[in-house]
This record gives sequence, C-alpha cells and structure tokens, in this order.
Amino acid sequence: MTSTTESIHIQLQSFLLSRKKCYQLLHLLFFVPEKLETLFEIQRDNTFEELGEFHEGGKILHDFFKHLSTEQIKREKEEYQRLFIGPGPLVAPPWESYYRSKEHLLFEEWTYQVREQYHRFGLQYRKENNEPDDHLLLELEFMIYLSDLCLHEPTEEKIEKLLTTQISFLEEHLIIWIPFFCERVIENTNSQLYLGAAMLLEDFLSFDLESLVEVREGTRICLKKIH
Amino acid sequence: MSEKNPLKNLLANKMQRRTFLKWSGAIGLPVIAGGIGTKMLIDRKEEAKVVVAKDSEKIISTCSINNCGGRCVIKAHVKDGVVVRVSTDTQAGGDFATPPLRACVRGRNYRNMLYHPDRLKYPMKRVGKRGEGKFKRISWEEAIETIASEVKRIGDKYGPESRYVNYASGQSWGLHGGKNAARKLLSLTGGYLNYRNDYSSGAGNVATPYTYGTNNSGSSFDTLLHSKLIILWGQNPSEMIFSTPYREYLMQAKKNGAKIIVIDPRYTDTAIAFADEWIPILPTTDNAMMDAMGYVIITEKLQDQAFLDKYCIGFDGEHMPDGVAKQESLKSYLLGEKDGTPKTPEWAEKICRVPAEKIREIAREYAKTKQAALIQGWAAQRQAYGEQFMRGGAQLACLTGNVGKLGGWGAGTGYWNRSNIVFPFSYENPVKASIPCFLWTQAVEKGTEMTAADGLEGTDKLKTNIKLIFNMAGNMLINQHSDINKTTKLLEDESKVEFIVVSDIFMTPSAKYADILLPGTTFFERYDIGVPWCFGDYVVFGEKTIDPLYECRNEYDVFAEVADKLGVKEKYTEGRTILDLVKESVERTRKEIDPNFPTFEEFRKQGVHHFKYDSPLIGFKDQIDDIEKKPFETPSGKIELFSKALWDMDQHDEIPAIAKYIPSWEGPEDPLKEKYPLQLIGWHYKRRCHSTYDNQSWLEEAAKQEMWLNPKDAEKRGIKNGDRAQVFNDRGSLMIDVKVTPRITPGVAGIPQGAWYTPDKDGLDQRGSLNVLTSQRPTPLAKSNPQQTNLVEVKKA
Repeated sequence: MTSTTESIHIQLQSFLLSRKKCYQLLHLLFFVPEKLETLFEIQRDNTFEELGEFHEGGKILHDFFKHLSTEQIKREKEEYQRLFIGPGPLVAPPWESYYRSKEHLLFEEWTYQVREQYHRFGLQYRKENNEPDDHLLLELEFMIYLSDLCLHEPTEEKIEKLLTTQISFLEEHLIIWIPFFCERVIENTNSQLYLGAAMLLEDFLSFDLESLVEVREGTRICLKKIH
Repeated sequence: MSEKNPLKNLLANKMQRRTFLKWSGAIGLPVIAGGIGTKMLIDRKEEAKVVVAKDSEKIISTCSINNCGGRCVIKAHVKDGVVVRVSTDTQAGGDFATPPLRACVRGRNYRNMLYHPDRLKYPMKRVGKRGEGKFKRISWEEAIETIASEVKRIGDKYGPESRYVNYASGQSWGLHGGKNAARKLLSLTGGYLNYRNDYSSGAGNVATPYTYGTNNSGSSFDTLLHSKLIILWGQNPSEMIFSTPYREYLMQAKKNGAKIIVIDPRYTDTAIAFADEWIPILPTTDNAMMDAMGYVIITEKLQDQAFLDKYCIGFDGEHMPDGVAKQESLKSYLLGEKDGTPKTPEWAEKICRVPAEKIREIAREYAKTKQAALIQGWAAQRQAYGEQFMRGGAQLACLTGNVGKLGGWGAGTGYWNRSNIVFPFSYENPVKASIPCFLWTQAVEKGTEMTAADGLEGTDKLKTNIKLIFNMAGNMLINQHSDINKTTKLLEDESKVEFIVVSDIFMTPSAKYADILLPGTTFFERYDIGVPWCFGDYVVFGEKTIDPLYECRNEYDVFAEVADKLGVKEKYTEGRTILDLVKESVERTRKEIDPNFPTFEEFRKQGVHHFKYDSPLIGFKDQIDDIEKKPFETPSGKIELFSKALWDMDQHDEIPAIAKYIPSWEGPEDPLKEKYPLQLIGWHYKRRCHSTYDNQSWLEEAAKQEMWLNPKDAEKRGIKNGDRAQVFNDRGSLMIDVKVTPRITPGVAGIPQGAWYTPDKDGLDQRGSLNVLTSQRPTPLAKSNPQQTNLVEVKKA
C-alpha cells in the first residue's frame, strides 16, 4: 500500500515539475521585462531552442532571445507598457473580467471567483480590492502555486483533489479567456517576444488541461486499485 | 506491469512523447522565475471577517462632483470591497420641499466608469514629443519630486505670473479637487496668474450686471408654478441638467396650465417633452427677434410703462443718463429714429427666419400674460456678440414688467442662490494679475503684450508668458477650448509652456499633452460634499465608497506631498485630511450659516440635505418692493437698459450701451457664407457632461455622436441619413456620421459638443470634436468664448 502511494507521488514528480517550469517560464515572459540578468540567462541557456523545433511560438521566442540586446529589452519594455499598462486604452488588457463581462469592465464576477479560489488556499492578492485579482500574472502564479502544492503532496487523495482544482481553474478561467487575450496580442504586436509568448501561452494551456485530465484519470484508476 | 499501472504507463510512454513536457523538463530556469520578487499572492489575513461580509451587500450613498448643474444621489451597492452595482435616489416625488435627486443616464453609468479598463492607473512621465502620447510609468516619488522642482525652477526663473492653473471642470462642485489643491500650493509658494469668468455663461456673466448689477436675475424654480407662460430661449434642461429637480418643476408648471414656448435652432428633447410651441431660429440672430418683439410691444403700447419709468434707465428719451442724447434710447433704437431702420418683425424675419407674424404673436403673448417667465439658456450667449443676447432678454423682461414678480423672471444670466455651505479649503493668491479664462492661449503666446483691452486686470502688464500649467481634471487644455489645431500647435512647442501637469481618470485629448500625467480618483474613491450649480436647495454627501484603485491618488494628497517637498505642508493641509475638510464644512455650516443643518453623522446617514423655505425666492423682489431702500447694484441704482458705463467705453459698434442685434462675423450675414454656407452649432449632449464620459460605451449606445443636418441641406449635398461626412472650414476638418432630420432648422448643422478629439495619422479628427472648427476670437466685452459662431461646409465622405 504505502509503496504504491509513494509511487503515485513519485511517479508524478517529473510531470508536475515539467509543467510547473512551463508556468514559471510563462510568468516570466509576461512579467515586466526589467530584470536584464534573467533575460540574458535565457539567452545563454538557449531555453527555447528545442521548443522552436516543434512550436511556432517557440521558434519566434528562440529567434528573439538569440538576438537579445539591452537596446531590444528597452523596446520590449515600451511595448509591454503599450500592451498591458497604458496610459489610455490598452491593446490587450490582461484581465479575465475584461474578456468575459458583457461591458468589458474590470472587477466583474470573475474577479470574485478567482479571489475565492485564492482565499480557499489561504492566499490573497497583495493589492486585493486595489487592482483586480484576475490579472494574467496572478492566475499564472496561482497555477504555479497549485503545481507546487501538488508536487509536494504525498497523499494520493489530496493529489487527486489538487489535480481537479487545477483542471477546474483552467476550465473555468484561463482556457476561456486566454485565447481572446492572445488573439489581441498576436494581432496587435510586432514584438517577437510577445508574439511568441502569446502563442506559447495559448497552446500550452490547452495542452496542460488535456494532460491533467489524462493524468487524473490514471491516478483515479490507480487509486481504485489501491483501495 | 504497464497494464497493472495505467498511470505509470501514461507517464512513461504517452507523456514522455509529449514534446512540451519533454522540452520543459529539460530546461533550466532562471532563479527568479515565478519566485521571490515577483510574488503577488501572499498569505491571507483576517479570514473570519470576510466570510461574514461576503453575502451582505452594503449600500453607500455618494455623489459625483462633475460640472453638471445638478447633483444626484448615487447609491453604491458594495460587496466584499467591490461596487457591484449603482442605483439612485428612491425617495418618492411630489413633495417639492424634498424633490428626489435621481440620476439620469449618465449617473447610471458610474460603475462602468469606475471599473473601466482604460482608467489611468499609475503616474507617468512623457517620453516622446509633447502631445505624441508616449509615456513611461514612474513612481509617485519621482512624479512629486519632478513637480516640486519644476514649480520652483519656473517660479524662480520667470516669476509667479508664469504659473497657471487652467480652467477645468471635471471636479468642480465639491469641497476640494485638483484645481484648488494646485492653486493653494502655488499660493503658498509665490502665487500664480489668476483667471476670471468661465466658458459656460462667460459673455452673460459680464453683460448681465451692466443691466441689473448682478447675475442673480433668476428666481427659485418653485416660482414657475405660478407662471402662465414660460419661454425657454435656447435652454434645454432635458439634456443639460441645470439642477436635478428643475424638470419636475417645469412639468408641474405645465400641469398647472402654463404654456411653454421653446426657441431653439433644434427641436430639442426639451421641446418634445415640454413645449406647446417650438420656434426654430438661426443661430446668432436671437437679438434680431428680441428687437422685433420690443418693437411690437412698444408700437402696440403693450409695455409696462410704470415699471419702466420707475425702475429703469434708458427706455426713452426722458430717462437717459446725463450727457447722453435722447435718440440713444432703447425706444428710439427700436423705432429706428436714428438709424432709419425700424426693428419691425419683417426686418427681423429676414435675419432670423422666424415669420414676422409669429414674432408679433409671441411678443403680444409675452407682454399680455401675467406673469410670464422668459428664461434664457447660455448657448446663445456663447457666440460672437453673446453679451447682447443676455442683455436683450433682460430688456424684454423689463419692457413687460416681469421683473421681481412671482411667476415672472428677470431673464439675463439667471442665477439664483439661497442655500450655502462653508468651503473650508481656502487660499489667498499673492498675485493679483488676472486674465479672462478664454484668453489663456493668448497669455501663453504673448502674455507680456496683453493690456486692459484684452481683459488683463490687476496689473498693467504681465512680466512673463505662461510657462507652467496645471490641468487638473479638465479637458480645456485641448478639447474644450476653441480651435484645437491652433492650441495643439501652441502646446507642442516645448519652449513656450515648459511644464504641463495633468491629473485625470482617463487618457483625454488634454491628458496627452501632459509632461507629468497623474492618475486621479473618481468620486467613489474620496470624501466630499456635492453642491448643485447655484440653482438648488440641496447638498449631497459624497461618501468614500472604496479605497482608490491602482495607484490613483486624490489631488489634495498629491499636492500635500509636493507642499512637503517645498517646505509648506503644514500651511497647505493645516493638519487636515480630506475627511477633516468635510467634517469641518458640516460643523462650520451649522455654526455659521444654518443651525438646522444636520450633523456629520446625520448627513452621512441621510446622504442628502434639503434646505427648506417658507416662500419662493423671487429675483429682485426687494428692489421692486422698495427701490429707495434697496436700489439695484448698478451705478445709477436702477435697471440700466442703457448703460452709461458701456457707453463710455466708446466702442458703440461692438459694445453698445443698449442691447441690440449686431450681425455676427461667421453669422448668416457674413460674406464668408459663400464659401462656408452652413452655420455650425454645438449642444450639451445627454450622453456626456461636457466632454466627461465620451469614452463610455453605454452612453454612446444611449446617444451616438452624430451631426444633425436638415433634409434640405443634406439633399443638396447628396448626403443620406447615416452617411459619413467631412465638415470643414479654414480652421480645421473633421469626420462624422450624419443624422438627417427636420429637427434642425435649414442652414444649420449641429454637432454635440464634447467628443474627444481623435485625429487619424493625417491629423483628421474621426470622432466629431466640435472645437476643431471653432474660433479663438473672443467676444468684445467679456472676452469670452464664441463657440456657437462658426461657418462650415459639409461634404459626403
């Protein structure tokens, strides 16, 4: 019994770690491009080289990082501001409520829903009620948090529950609005960074959902056998 | 084995082939990714409290302080720190002592404004050329440091007259707000160039006192319940809210049997809702009709001679000021004794297009009906000779003896006021120099050349042009000032105005011209007390509903920090927060003005306070009851139909001593009409408050930005309803959709004012921003805005 339980936990390690890294990387790509060291580290590591072999977004990102320069980062920072910060009408508002509410407003019911999820896990946005909780970076951070929780969870039932939470969060939130968000980015930017990042984000999320559902299925079958 | 363990099978075989995982499994990650320094989700505090609050919705009563004439009650339904919907005053109507203060379509949209994704969220500094719209996010510390050092640098280099707080009305009817905060800061550090007057009733504000000695020529709205005839001349309270309960009084007056006539180039919503009769008239020609009405009244001996003899100067030769010839009298002018042109209805018809018979009919009706209220809007005084319109209306009110009587009305500017509160945020500007607000662009360009003839007061000469501008919650920097193309060019020259600070909640056309751009707050995010324009016996509590969103800050607090940098914080705040100001206002109002005013807690709970009176306020009643004891505040102590003060200015063609029709430049008699055959006017649209809310989609749905054109004019140009058209004159050009409608008089095009100037890459405005086409030429006396005086041509796009 014990050994089987451990084995689910252990078996899932590499899967969970891989996808957590993916979320971390996406989080980094959509974070304000100001940490020069980090960006040059990606360049040095050729992080996107392999991805570029099979994914268009990866290819664009690989090209981008290959030619990265301080000057280029400065331009990306301007683009980041234009796309996601303002001032004025944003090209691609990075909040879920914007895409889901009829009136394209912020602080709509989806803000509440994700906030409730954060609260359930004893978390809250540092700027709760000051900025909306359904910002892309927060939702990604929450996915990182859940992946990590799952990664360190030894109990099989809890693993299964955590997988379900992540599936639901994807299904009820990210998967619904991210395609619209990415479409806005892709249609409106000439930046290789944000073009590639948006393509990767959209595709990875649907891939992750698919994988999680399969893995949960596998886990459930295993659990049945154990009991 | 694999069959026994499907998970392992899945992970080992299927997943391993999945390239995403294969790739990400192999990569190294920068240490920072998703880690320390970027974390925004933190361990949660105060678990228990929120669970309780979750389902309970709290209703908070608050109030907007934009430049609407009314103040309405906005009820914010707050759940878990978020405004989930807004509603308005639910009090029943019927009791005129406590009229409900219900929001109109604009007020219903406030939640959309609050949570609009385009809100300005962070302080910014300009990085591109001025006006280009390129900004970089900065910290508040940097913003405040920059403002403080520029205020000092420019003050030191050019002197305090170089610093200017531009006319702005986004926050205008509360206790504090950005404009006052900036003024106080500048007052404490040497001063600033003052402005006088406003863009709303600018010509009237200067003209009416030459007749009556004051602009308070109106009466409380309950007096209308006693009127038998109400003439709304260029007034459109169905769209332009002069005071929230005004329409309720008008409706009741109508029920009481009053006849209502609306005189307007457009068949307005007011005409639809209230009028028994609509009289279309050509813009800028109102005084021709007024003159003819005067002619009819005099020739048919319908004037109130006793009133004129007792209270007025200048009606006839027997009542002229010393040293002025008899034939300069009003009567002599109307009869054409001097110029040979009797101001007959036939004469007027040719100018204003109102049929002579109709003019006769209205003149007789107005003179014979007791009492009749002639109420003037302000649109018709925002024209080349707007002063004449305001004094002309007052002249008719005097001819018919409707002044100082219940149910009558003094016409003119028409302010009235009897309910006040204390405004505790005060300052004294050590600089005495002042300019007419409309001439600020002139003061930028050649302020040092301005003289008394340009309306410069408080000094003979300015030592400097304007070099620094604070533009707080206002759109006058670009959008609402005349001749946008001229203004943008002026401001783009960074050697002229060296530093511009804008605070606003959205990226307006004016905000684009900021050097430092500050994210301001909405009324939901601060405490205040809202007061109506002068017309109204109510004040509304502005409760802070939520904390400021994003990095938005109240200007009061921003300037407190700037004051701190300049070493005058104590003098600036006097130890008070915004909430303290509100409390102080309530306490001092109770002590100094009205002991029946509620306490702070009572007021907060009620959300609104109605001042109650036993009887209506009748404008000039005291003077009419006993002019010996209570003379008019004019030099002669009487109503000056003929003003000696104006006569002595010796510019009789443009500044006559009696009100009269003066053909306008760019009016229907201007030869320029050959080239630009249509008169263009604007109006205050129901979907905006001036330019505020132009970016709100609900409101655009309620009333689209489009130009009205009569079918006759449209047909001539091959324009069909819904077509897009180009409107142009020598000053500029814009694109707009056309509504072809008989609701506007032929020869006139109407564009609702306030749309945000939206140039395409070639500089052609695509939104229909009226001021692309308006002129900066001021009115002769008040130096005020002539924005209703424009000739244009329209062609199908």
